[in-house]
Amino acid sequence: MKSIKTIILVLIGSLGVSGAFAQSSRPPLSLNLNYSIAQPLGSLSDYAKNTSFRGWQIGLQYALNDRLALGLKTGFSDFYERVPRAVYPGKGEDVSAMQTHTLQTIPILATVQYTLASPEARVMPYAGLGVGTANMNYEKYWGEFVEKENKWAFQVSPELGVNVPFGKYSPVMLNANVQYNYAPFKVNEISNFNSIQANIGVKFHIQ
Amino acid sequence: MLSVLAAGALLVSSCRKDPLKDMTAEESRIYVTNYDEEADFSSYKTFSIVDSVAVISNRQGAAKELTAYDQALLTNLKSSMQSRGYTLVDKSAKPDLAMNVTRIDNTTTQVGYDPGYWAGWPGYWDTGYWGYPGWNYWFPSYYTVFQYNEKSVAVDLVDLKNAASHGNQLTAIWNAQLRGTGVWNGNNLDSMLKAVFDQSQYLKTSN
Repeated sequence: MKSIKTIILVLIGSLGVSGAFAQSSRPPLSLNLNYSIAQPLGSLSDYAKNTSFRGWQIGLQYALNDRLALGLKTGFSDFYERVPRAVYPGKGEDVSAMQTHTLQTIPILATVQYTLASPEARVMPYAGLGVGTANMNYEKYWGEFVEKENKWAFQVSPELGVNVPFGKYSPVMLNANVQYNYAPFKVNEISNFNSIQANIGVKFHIQ
Repeated sequence: MLSVLAAGALLVSSCRKDPLKDMTAEESRIYVTNYDEEADFSSYKTFSIVDSVAVISNRQGAAKELTAYDQALLTNLKSSMQSRGYTLVDKSAKPDLAMNVTRIDNTTTQVGYDPGYWAGWPGYWDTGYWGYPGWNYWFPSYYTVFQYNEKSVAVDLVDLKNAASHGNQLTAIWNAQLRGTGVWNGNNLDSMLKAVFDQSQYLKTSN
């Protein structure tokens, strides 16, 4: 128990020390541009099971030191599934329709990221967390007629990834990460928004 | 900043898969039936149908028409009802059920409307046609409908048998709506009406 406390104290201490040497290696402000693939999970998958290949992500980060960075990111995913014609019974009602299930999501997240390697490393793994809001655009088509619901939901997105600099101390890096998204979003058949998302792109340290 | 937003908006819209883009006319159509859950459809024996089709539009004057399409529509409705055991009689022979048939050509883009709203429009079948001059039509509130802004067809089955007990109102106990691309095309009539009657198995009389 005591040793854990010691480790934590040493960690905090080293954060402060590296903070004192901030901006020593790369410019602190960086821009991230990623292509995203997202796999729906849970009730979102029941609604629209297809993997989204129509996605992207853009983010800005400011490094407080070589390990810790704060930022903002946004992006887009488009979930889609077509269901062949069927009769949907309701109260005193039956509707025969081919349905097209779609959901577009645009998250806006504040991020914190901790790099698990030194700035000279050739591969820099990191862990991050994004917390914020997401615009959920639910559009269910009955034939050509759309049933719409647009809502904002709280979203939390933990993330694990790697940055691979193009050369030692290079301000340009390849970025690859996997992120899990959760939002308590409820509309009709969707009881929660759950997805796992893979992002690949580049990160530029600009100034 | 504005150009960044504009570029972002373009990215969002171009990334999205458009459900309407690869939709055939058949897939665009929906067939909605509503019914009175209290109604005992087997208690009605006879029906009569209007001699032409009311055409309701918010752009031009109302009219009663009897095109080749309208004739085919009425003929199909008669035989469909007869195949469910109902006897076709003249409207002077006190039928239990009256069938009103309407083509709606509405160009507004309203996002929702009251069910049976077409019954209040000029050109809809006057209650006097069924021998109840000065009465109103009544569509129970649990009839739900979808938003739409296109040509459609409405078939309303009205209870004449129990008219006296409903206080100057002719109550609709069943209603079918054909919506989407090509509903005014005679070649689609058979498949559309088959769907409508297939999903309304309760609509039959006992002999």
